[in-house]
Amino acid sequence: MSNLRGGEILGKGMKAAAMATAMMLVTLAGGQAAAADFDPDATINIGSLYEPQNLDNTAGAGQGLNEAFNGNVYEALFSLADDGTVQPALAKDTKISEDGLTYTFALQPGVTFHSGKALTSKDVKFSIERVTSADSKSSRKNSLKPITSIETPDDSTVVIKLSSRSISLPYNLSYVSIVSETAKDLTSKEDGTGPYKLASWRRGSALALARFDGYWGAKPSNGDVVFHYFTEATALNNALLTGAVDIITSVQSPDSLAQFKDNKDFTVAEGKSTTKLLLAYNDRVAPFDNVKVRKALARAVDDAKLLKAVWGDYGTLIGSFVPPTDPWYVDLTKTDAYDPESAKALLKEAGYPDGFSFTLDTPNYDPHPIAAQFLQSELAKVGVKVKINIITANEWYTKVYKAHDFQATLQEHVNHRDIVFYGNPDFYWGYNNPEVVDLIKQAEASTTTDEQTAKLKKANEIIAEDAASNWLYLYPQIVVSAKSVTGYPLNGLNAQFYVSGIKKAD
Amino acid sequence: MSDLVSLPATTRTRGPLPRALLVGLFIVGLQLVIALMTLVWTPYDPSALAGQRLEAPSLIHLAGTDRLGRDLFTLIMIGARIALTVGCGAILIGGLIGVTIGLAAAFAARTLDDVFAAGLDILIAFPTLLIAMLIVASSDGASLWTATLAIGVANSAIVARLTRILGKRVLALDYITAARISGSSWLSIVFRHVLPNIWPTLMVNLALQFGLAVIAEASLSYLGLGTPPPNASWGRLLQEAQATVQTAPLGAIAPGLALVALVIGINLLADGLRDLSDPARRSA
Repeated sequence: MSNLRGGEILGKGMKAAAMATAMMLVTLAGGQAAAADFDPDATINIGSLYEPQNLDNTAGAGQGLNEAFNGNVYEALFSLADDGTVQPALAKDTKISEDGLTYTFALQPGVTFHSGKALTSKDVKFSIERVTSADSKSSRKNSLKPITSIETPDDSTVVIKLSSRSISLPYNLSYVSIVSETAKDLTSKEDGTGPYKLASWRRGSALALARFDGYWGAKPSNGDVVFHYFTEATALNNALLTGAVDIITSVQSPDSLAQFKDNKDFTVAEGKSTTKLLLAYNDRVAPFDNVKVRKALARAVDDAKLLKAVWGDYGTLIGSFVPPTDPWYVDLTKTDAYDPESAKALLKEAGYPDGFSFTLDTPNYDPHPIAAQFLQSELAKVGVKVKINIITANEWYTKVYKAHDFQATLQEHVNHRDIVFYGNPDFYWGYNNPEVVDLIKQAEASTTTDEQTAKLKKANEIIAEDAASNWLYLYPQIVVSAKSVTGYPLNGLNAQFYVSGIKKAD
Repeated sequence: MSDLVSLPATTRTRGPLPRALLVGLFIVGLQLVIALMTLVWTPYDPSALAGQRLEAPSLIHLAGTDRLGRDLFTLIMIGARIALTVGCGAILIGGLIGVTIGLAAAFAARTLDDVFAAGLDILIAFPTLLIAMLIVASSDGASLWTATLAIGVANSAIVARLTRILGKRVLALDYITAARISGSSWLSIVFRHVLPNIWPTLMVNLALQFGLAVIAEASLSYLGLGTPPPNASWGRLLQEAQATVQTAPLGAIAPGLALVALVIGINLLADGLRDLSDPARRSA
């Protein structure tokens, strides 16, 4: 399981537009267009707020690269499907040894890179080692730590040896883009095996992908795809209104949807996101080291009202950190549900009959300030005073994330399968329950996914019962497109946006 | 005594008060009254979720409500208080530091004066935003006080430069030399001769700076470097309204209008003051 670092756990504002927040995904369920009434060579124009910093995931490219490249230009041994399941991609067949420490992958035959070179096991070894190397900035580096060796007995076989069982290995490998071992300058060029190759990249403006005719899998249902990058949501919305783009990958304000919703020329589709808004306490310090205080604060906040304020009729309430797309989701919204009276009683029990006051470090971009003011007003009703301290994304990273110098903070967490953060007592929120740490460790060493799921479900329930943090709501994932365009991914898993199934009507 | 008697006469020779001054006084005065009123009464508790999300303007909510259902009119009223507080504070700080440094530079010997002049040029090149960030970083988070200090410090450089130039001009006059020869002290020259002479120009400049300070406060708050919530600043109201500007444009228009009105009012006031102090008017 991953212990994500740095930017990737954080939301959009963390680097202005660079980091994706809402991640989209992968489904070709967006609409099975009526048979063959689409243009097989159409150009699909996609509008996005998340331009990559560069083109190399091991060099801090940001989530914009996941959106444009994962599954489109680069493929991995496995891919993360829209429903959250892991599907084989370049790994045709997987054998796991009895002790779970040796994985043998048979590669898909007949795969060639965009440069024309055939895929061999050496490329796979090269690609994994790029991610695990000392100077790699990949957020997945830690999750691949159990790998002790990668062997290539022949061109189509890769053998990975582990130091300990890691049931998430295929999942974690779905983040490792396979590149040719002869590729150079990967921050500005690519050499992948995906259905599209990079045609051009004009920094600050657009990234164009062209269909790769030598692709081993199913032929894309469009000719080429251009990602147009915007720094401002209103400009992006206007681009869709005027037909400059066909799709917006992630709408960030419910109020801008009105102009598309009642317009027959557009489709508004709501998928599932993995982005959660959290009131995270520093569980190490008083009074937040007291479970009763945390539970009281959870009960004092009307999450539904906050969600309504920020997202109108969109979004989902959650009772813990785990979104419905994770296999270990349990509906925990009833745990510490809104109940200000019992919140007051709990505070009294905890020894704070007159409440207390604390400083809430609040990132300076939407929706944090508005959410902070809502919390301030809600908590005041149970006698808890909130002092709002507005900070920048960088300050958040150094003060809260690195130095743990805070009482409570607001933050959006974007990742899929990130419950593991609660198994790491050194994580910024400092939640430390040995039972949870142990369950999460055991889950990774499970022999079956059922066992893993059962353990993580248990951990999930304990975290919710402990009110480790205050999970406010799950963001909606909203994709808006012109009516003529169908077949795009709807969900928000890890920012990927698979484009090969997108169809544009003639 | 004789002053009291002759005052109406001089005013009459200057003609009626400039219209700009009257309009400016009215706008600024109105906002001042509103600002003072918020100390004792507002239509709603500013942090109370008094209505539904994004209600349209009505008799119950004169300017509608924001996303949290707070009364926008109440927030704008409080915004006037914040704007005027920061503006006054910044002008006070900028004026005190600026005039002091400017006069010191005007009096200083040649080499020292060059150093002052260069220093002021460098300080003027520093954006208010940068100064604000430095002050916020070195204190316990952003507050009304850090914003005021930052804007005041940025102001002081401009005031100091002007004071220095005006002061030097006065100091070069013959009667100053005469006063020096007759043994007047440094302080007495400043207070009896220099300040009264440069005051009219300085006051007009300070009034203009006041308008800029109000805009600077809104900008800093927009960026989260100003007054922290729940104190409503117009800049933060604008920032919060940005997400809903397409469906509820009033959320951005209303605080924007309040800001524009105040700044126009201050500028008219400054214009009027300049006209009053302009010797050319007296003969007109």
